Amino acid sequence: MKKLLILLFAALLSVLTACGNSSDEEAGASGGEGESELSGELEFYTSQPDVDAEQLVDAFNEKYPDVDVNIFRSGTEEVISKLNAESQAGSVVADVLLLADSVTFEGLKEADMLMEYNSPEAEAIPEEFVDADGTYTGTKVMATGIVINTDEVTEAPTSWDALVSDEGSDQVVVPSPLYSGAAAYNLGIFTRSDGFGWDFYEGIKANNPMITEGNGAVIENVASGQKNYGMIVDYLVARAASDGSPVELIYPKEGVPVITEPIGITADTEEAEIAKAFVDFVLSAEGQALQAEIGYTPIREGVEAPDGLKSLDEIKTLSAPTDELYQNREADKGQFDELFSN
Amino acid sequence: MSAISSAFFNRQFYKIFAIGLIIIFFIIPIIRLIAMSFLSDEGINFDYYYAILTDGRTWQVLQNTLIVVVGSTIISLILGTAFAWMVAYTDIRMKGIVQLFIFLPFIIPSYITSLAWVQFFGPAGLLTKLLESVSINLPSWDLYSMSGIIFVMGISHFPLVYLFTVNVFRKIPREMELAARISGATRWTAFSKIVFPMALPGVVGGSFIAFLGGLDNFGIPAFLGTPANISVLSTYIYQKVIGFGPSAFNEAAVLSVILGVIAIIGISLQWLLLRKSKPIETTKLDYSPRYHLGKKKLIAEILIWLFFATTSIFPFISMVMTSFLNAYGLDFVPENFSLKNYAYILSRNSTVESILTSLKLAGVTTVIGIIVGTIFSYYRVRKPNLNMKLMEYGITIPYALPGMVLALAMIFAWMEPIPGWNPGIYGSAAILYIAYVTRFLTLQVRSGITAFQQVDKEVEEAARINGTNGFGKWKRIMIPLIAPGVLSGAMLVFLSALTELTVSSLLYSSNAETIGVAILSFQQSGYTLYSTAFSSLIVGLIIVVYFLLFTSGALRKRKVEKGK
Repeated sequence: MKKLLILLFAALLSVLTACGNSSDEEAGASGGEGESELSGELEFYTSQPDVDAEQLVDAFNEKYPDVDVNIFRSGTEEVISKLNAESQAGSVVADVLLLADSVTFEGLKEADMLMEYNSPEAEAIPEEFVDADGTYTGTKVMATGIVINTDEVTEAPTSWDALVSDEGSDQVVVPSPLYSGAAAYNLGIFTRSDGFGWDFYEGIKANNPMITEGNGAVIENVASGQKNYGMIVDYLVARAASDGSPVELIYPKEGVPVITEPIGITADTEEAEIAKAFVDFVLSAEGQALQAEIGYTPIREGVEAPDGLKSLDEIKTLSAPTDELYQNREADKGQFDELFSN
Repeated sequence: MSAISSAFFNRQFYKIFAIGLIIIFFIIPIIRLIAMSFLSDEGINFDYYYAILTDGRTWQVLQNTLIVVVGSTIISLILGTAFAWMVAYTDIRMKGIVQLFIFLPFIIPSYITSLAWVQFFGPAGLLTKLLESVSINLPSWDLYSMSGIIFVMGISHFPLVYLFTVNVFRKIPREMELAARISGATRWTAFSKIVFPMALPGVVGGSFIAFLGGLDNFGIPAFLGTPANISVLSTYIYQKVIGFGPSAFNEAAVLSVILGVIAIIGISLQWLLLRKSKPIETTKLDYSPRYHLGKKKLIAEILIWLFFATTSIFPFISMVMTSFLNAYGLDFVPENFSLKNYAYILSRNSTVESILTSLKLAGVTTVIGIIVGTIFSYYRVRKPNLNMKLMEYGITIPYALPGMVLALAMIFAWMEPIPGWNPGIYGSAAILYIAYVTRFLTLQVRSGITAFQQVDKEVEEAARINGTNGFGKWKRIMIPLIAPGVLSGAMLVFLSALTELTVSSLLYSSNAETIGVAILSFQQSGYTLYSTAFSSLIVGLIIVVYFLLFTSGALRKRKVEKGK
């Protein structure tokens, strides 16, 4: 019996020490004079797909080879929960955040979790996408449009009416605002836009829609022919269409809600210099060209959008004051839940 | 004299040490969680409870949860017991392979199973089209419903009941049943009065784990319930956690406490059920068939394989076929197939790394589980005092909590275990080891308890009286007796840890990405094909390893028999 206990203790101890060691590696001192001499570790929390985040970090490392960027990737909502937990438990580990929408960042700003930084690169970015206090800046433009299955729908719709009209009956799929941050943003925009309002969502409900957790499931359902029409962020459709899926992206004529995947630095960061360099890089002409190459509409003026997507100046956007969206998000979600659960 | 007192002192020391470990690793995170449900800016109060308990939605969610969990547990119980009985007692063929297919629903990610079924049963699905072609018009079954969730969850969790029950069946001496039959009992009476009561520890233990698994399961209700707007506790907690606002965590904590209370009611029910179960004196597993089905064998086998075809073979094939597609939604014709998804995931370093990380995590968790879990379950069975019972609660709750809640509780507990002191556990791989052991230990404990409950205390005493000392007693008598049960528990821990998803998705650091996190992030970011390719690869690997073990086992057995 005693031997077993000793064994158990030894096993526990060895695991704990083995794991502890790897984490205790000293982060190199940051600073230095020249930009390229930056070195140290950067904690990067993002909701971007892994693949994209890795490409971004690789490109950054070409410029700053001595910076070790650790990526934590999850859904925007999970990242926020993790941040909140970290902050309540003592200290925020993240240095740089790149998450879905400005409303999310407004929440972080309200909680004093962001550092003010006016990147010189932000000057080339439309003012409406840059926080006036410099706590966050948009990094790309993601419109939400309609996706149709081209095998099933012969006449492409031009209006959001497609989701509420008769041909959409039993054929509509939309992401749930209760799970997806982008969908919650759209809910806020549509219910505050002329010609939409809650009537729009009631119309969708009348079509007996399928509600999915996220945008990924929307493209799956439309591409596989389960549903004909979907509400979805643009890049997923462009990507699926270029792979050969039978789908087409439509920017409805009334305009589209746009999220900007802003980037910001945490107030608690201990690597401010590296974090700033990282933000500058993402917003720079080079970083923006990379976004376009990966498949997103860049936010910086003068950088071309990839095939299949419209540039910012070709898109008619629907918008609402960020602060208002932030203040009302929970109420909007509650009303949505009530509407669709009855 | 001094030797005795020092032995006594050592005993006390180990006991305190063990209790200390359980308090640090299991109880503190739970206490932090409970504290959070009471603490607001104005100090301790019941405001959050009031808000949650007076909200009609909460009660609706609770009702959904109970229906789903109880319903799916009943399905798991029936399927698990039936399969265990057939594998243990009848002469159906290919039992090794049957066993593999029993496990598949447990390993294949449930969203993939659900998706495959939706495509199979749905209005445009294969089954409907096939039936239409022979002009049968069945109303298609909408899986996006309460019944769909119950069904998929029941199928996903029945392997748990099977695993707990099958070796218990094998241990029940055939003479018991024979005696009953000779005295005139029918087969059914013999089963319901003799076999089933003796198998109760396994059946109840497995059902209880299936019950807990149903409580914490997020994937199935999120995937199948969202379209129909059905929320259960786990998905409702998630919706609360991701909400903005200062009380998001507190309300989620209140809901988690409610969930914990349900789990505790579950444990207590289980104790009540097992109070009267008797240990079995036999020491050997009896593998030879007791029932020769004769003509009915073929029918039974056809039924079994039809069941597998729909529950695991079909979803698995549909996943594998999708993983070869060039783009999602293309027809399944040769020109649309390629290896590009596999080429992509295999070309990434992180793929191999995530597999290694998960293997290491699962391996260490399993080993610690075997040691700690077995020791704990031994004392829990032999000295069932209040302390042990309370500790059992503590060990069980982390498995019942939704992964997201456990992960948050881990952050709260380990970021700064003592305010102002950050030992660096959070942010390194250590937090994952701690979280995994905390989460899965109950699987090992449960199977350990089931195993020890079947070892009569007299067997142990006989060994001691015969002069076998402590270590010898374990080596020669106890370990062989409990090994089958302990090993099936270990297998559960290993498989669960290998494909764990929700806890890791919040706790991993970029140097410790797990398989589950890799698959989930492909899935979440719309790279469905990569996620199916990765899932197929993992399930494929598990099948290959199983076959290797199975055939090497069979070969060894043949050699032994030849040697005789």
